[in-house]
Amino acid sequence: MTDIPAPAARPVRIGPGAVEIALGGGIILAWLTLALGAPLFAGLDPNAISFTALLQPPGTPGHLLGTDHIGRDVLARVLFAARIDIWMGVAGVVPPLLIGVLVGLISGYAGGRLDAVMMRLVDITVAFPFFVLVIAIVGILGPGLGNYFVALALVGWVSYARLMRAEVMVLRNKEFVTAAKVLGYGAPTILFRHILPNTLTAVLVYATTDAVLVLLAGASLGFLGLGVQPPTPEWGAMIAEGQPYVVQAWWICFFPGLAAMSLCLGFILLSDGFSRVLGAGRR
Amino acid sequence: MSLFSALGQRLLQLIPVLIGISVVSFLLVQLSPGDPVRLLLGDRATAEAVAQVRERYGLDEPLLQQYFTYVGNLIQGDLGRSIRFQLPVGDLILDFLPATLFLIAYVVVISVPAAVLLAVAAARSQGGLVDQAIRLFAVVGMTFPVFWLALMMSRFFGVELGWFPVSGYGEGFVDHLHHLFLPAVSTSAWLIPLLLRNLRAALIEEMQADHVTASRSKGLGETYIFRRHVLPNSVLPTLNLLGLMISFLIGGSVVVEIVYAVPGLGSLMVGSVVGRDYYVIQGLTLVYALATVVVTLTVDILSTLIDPRVKL
Amino acid sequence: MNWHRIAAVGLATALALSAPWIVPGAAAQESIRIGSPYRTTTLDPMRSAAAGNIETFGQLYSRLLRRNAQGELEPGLAESWEVSPDGTTVTLKLRDAKFSDGSPITADDVVFSLLRVRDDKESAYPAPLQQLKDAKAQDPKTVVLTLEHPFAPFLGNLEVFNAGIVSKADVEKRGADAFTKDPLTSGPYAVSEWRPNDRLVLKPNPNYWREGYPKNAGAELIEVPDQNTRVSMMLSGELDAAREMPWSQVAELQGREGLSLPLEPSTVIYMTLLNGKKPPFDNVKVRQAAAHALDVAAITQAMSFGNAKPANTTIPGALEFHAADLPGVAYDPEKAKALLAEAGYNGEEVTMLISDIADLDKLAALIQAQWQAVGIPSKIEKVDRGVWWERVPGADYHAAPSWWYNETLDPDLAVRWALCGTCGTESFYTFYSNPKVNELTEAAAAELDPAKRRELYRQIQEITTNEVAQIPLYYPPFTNAYGARVEGLSMSPALQWSLEDASVKN
Repeated sequence: MTDIPAPAARPVRIGPGAVEIALGGGIILAWLTLALGAPLFAGLDPNAISFTALLQPPGTPGHLLGTDHIGRDVLARVLFAARIDIWMGVAGVVPPLLIGVLVGLISGYAGGRLDAVMMRLVDITVAFPFFVLVIAIVGILGPGLGNYFVALALVGWVSYARLMRAEVMVLRNKEFVTAAKVLGYGAPTILFRHILPNTLTAVLVYATTDAVLVLLAGASLGFLGLGVQPPTPEWGAMIAEGQPYVVQAWWICFFPGLAAMSLCLGFILLSDGFSRVLGAGRR
Repeated sequence: MSLFSALGQRLLQLIPVLIGISVVSFLLVQLSPGDPVRLLLGDRATAEAVAQVRERYGLDEPLLQQYFTYVGNLIQGDLGRSIRFQLPVGDLILDFLPATLFLIAYVVVISVPAAVLLAVAAARSQGGLVDQAIRLFAVVGMTFPVFWLALMMSRFFGVELGWFPVSGYGEGFVDHLHHLFLPAVSTSAWLIPLLLRNLRAALIEEMQADHVTASRSKGLGETYIFRRHVLPNSVLPTLNLLGLMISFLIGGSVVVEIVYAVPGLGSLMVGSVVGRDYYVIQGLTLVYALATVVVTLTVDILSTLIDPRVKL
Repeated sequence: MNWHRIAAVGLATALALSAPWIVPGAAAQESIRIGSPYRTTTLDPMRSAAAGNIETFGQLYSRLLRRNAQGELEPGLAESWEVSPDGTTVTLKLRDAKFSDGSPITADDVVFSLLRVRDDKESAYPAPLQQLKDAKAQDPKTVVLTLEHPFAPFLGNLEVFNAGIVSKADVEKRGADAFTKDPLTSGPYAVSEWRPNDRLVLKPNPNYWREGYPKNAGAELIEVPDQNTRVSMMLSGELDAAREMPWSQVAELQGREGLSLPLEPSTVIYMTLLNGKKPPFDNVKVRQAAAHALDVAAITQAMSFGNAKPANTTIPGALEFHAADLPGVAYDPEKAKALLAEAGYNGEEVTMLISDIADLDKLAALIQAQWQAVGIPSKIEKVDRGVWWERVPGADYHAAPSWWYNETLDPDLAVRWALCGTCGTESFYTFYSNPKVNELTEAAAAELDPAKRRELYRQIQEITTNEVAQIPLYYPPFTNAYGARVEGLSMSPALQWSLEDASVKN
């Protein structure tokens, strides 16, 4: 009862959390480097087709990871795709996260009528069939990647809002919040200085999950025209393209899948690291 | 009393939610390009036939009028007729609902115990070998493309070993269990990691909480503390996540339903969206909305039971 | 609460329940199961010309004439027919046939069914019967059909899917409902159960006129949209036949024991539409350049792994009077560049519109690369079929790789659909219209001498291929797979299953 901590101000200790941050950050940095230097590392045009080198297995001279169903170099495509996928992981997650966290914070803290209205809005959004939204967006805004982010922002905030609200509802009755109230802090200060830092773990953990879902979902919407347009290299789309060949040319799906998995691993390690560092200062 | 009145209030709030959803989805669907009649009549259909059928189905009336006709019928319990099949939407949805509900129940029965077991095991050996192994499994499970896993399982367990059917829903309870086993496992393969990571994080946090430390200092056994204090206090966010994911699955188990050719709501939705079958999409939207609200409500009620500080 | 115990019990129960099923082999299966990505959306033959429905109509409704395994016309519901010397009157004698409820099929039913397809405002595809001037029932077993003028494809058109005979009494009594549940049928099967969006279960029509047919206890037409799923279902024995195995798996499936994949000829053609209403493809030289830029043989090889034939004319290769000896447009990038320069094409980007049909993004990427090589930059836009069918008839595209097929072997309907600018569909919405071709279309249909018809269709193919009404790409065979359990099942080039001839082996 004696200390009323402002948890975010705690110093970061060197510990297991830092190791994970270093590892996760390393993976993401490595992918950033590969993405930026793609022309250098790949050496080939990711969209150059070849009628004579279809479905070449990995290890073929000139094609380290083989070629796809129209003779494009899989390595070049995987590397160039990193540019788009890293961008997708950020642009597809950050806007919904910001909206959702804000809604959840306010809703959970304020309670009452405001909360009820917000949560019904959440209900509407959750219950709304994503495909309907997708065809409407393609129809109104046109096909393409940018509009995929619009669709994600319109829908994705809900998960963050609900998670955040659940966290806040528990936290708002905790001692340090009550104490802050007694000390006369205003609602914004309490929300952003005291409550928000304590909820970030759950949100970050979910955000990494979400980044993974965003990367993988892009491909499953391709058939409705939302997402990257062919022949732009993107991991999800490459996996989808390789689907009919998965039995006899596994490498078309496998390497983009592996790439996506490693980038996701980076995200997840990073968030685990953060959560442990933050968790150490939590109450 | 408070629980019941709160419940009543929530049910009342359901009405604006349903109206909101129906208006928005009606407008979005009707405004998006694509003519259901053209898709229905086929590539070579004449413009005259398309126009004629549109007129007979009332598709060339003003949007507002179409909406009011729709709502008018809805109030009398009539969801309208499928443009594609000329059959009542209600019957159509009822045909496809059981497979999806069964699948979701199956997934929950598989996922929840597995997620809880794994999360508890991981949390209790935090940083240890078991924890690391479970976390690795979670990462791999989450990042695995569902269609790929589904396809591989159907080829291996269905085709090579012949243990499970690779398609359909079957007849009768036992047959359903058999047919939906692979779809349920494929879905659980990403749901378990999701729940498990969430729960593990919450458990670890709670284990470091003051009241747990206090209990420890009182000399209470670890297992006792875990069951009485840690677990109940950590399940709330996971329960919320589970609710969210169930809502998502009701409309979103599309990939698995397509790969295993399960006649569920997901495949009906895709078929209807692709065929611009307006009234089926509308009907499905309402079903999703109802289901979501029911799931949310259930989660909220459970939350108040687990943690009385949470209000409905 | 003991979470461990609950979880353990749950898992144990699940395992215990699953144990008894872990036995290989399927239960006895009487009916023939066919998987197709194309769905049945209506049971009324007049109401749709979409692929899945065409397959279904053939099983439910007999036509006056039928085609045998060799593709020749032979008696169907009409046991004989006579064409007047001037070619404008056809008199058909009906056999003693019955609808599925046992009521007789009369000349009145025939007249009703044919006129309905021609006249009903909601008839999806009246084109095959457009030349029918009048239909009369001379007596209960004799139908007299009169034509505007001699029309060579007419008898063949009486075999097209929507010329199936339905019951006048039933349709008049039940209206549109006659086709939503349990329609009266004249074909080999009746509807046992229809679960729209999932499957159509067929049972034998006990009153079918071909005695001893169908040679099986029924069939299920199952909708399976995903191609990998159809393959899995074939491999696991959950299907006896399946449409459209992926090209990439043809060789592997052909090598599997217990499966056959005969690559049956089809009336399908893969091609690229070019929008003649908009620059740059409104210029014939740019269209020719676009065609010369494509290495059709290499594209065919890449797309079908050598299983399809490169296309040489604008009509499907399986059609009668297809001019197999025409050279097609040669692959000649230099000539393409020269033509572009001549046309004054300024290198503006073109939009290639594709729908979500499997393989089209692959095809589009190949075309894009080869066009790029001669200096036609392009952007691919992938949309779903709903949007595609709004934008293509609306001329809102530059190029659109896609496919079409013909519902009968006679080229008349194909030419009217895809190459004739005055036949109602704007040459498949390419807005190509050459008065000479339009004239030839009518002349070829009115010509009764096959040798002369051949020459007229040759001219049509020559002109439209050289003027690049569309860019023909390849003629794919069907990649249907068949299981060993069923014999006698095949598909005709015009999408009709020989289901009534198929039997289940014991």
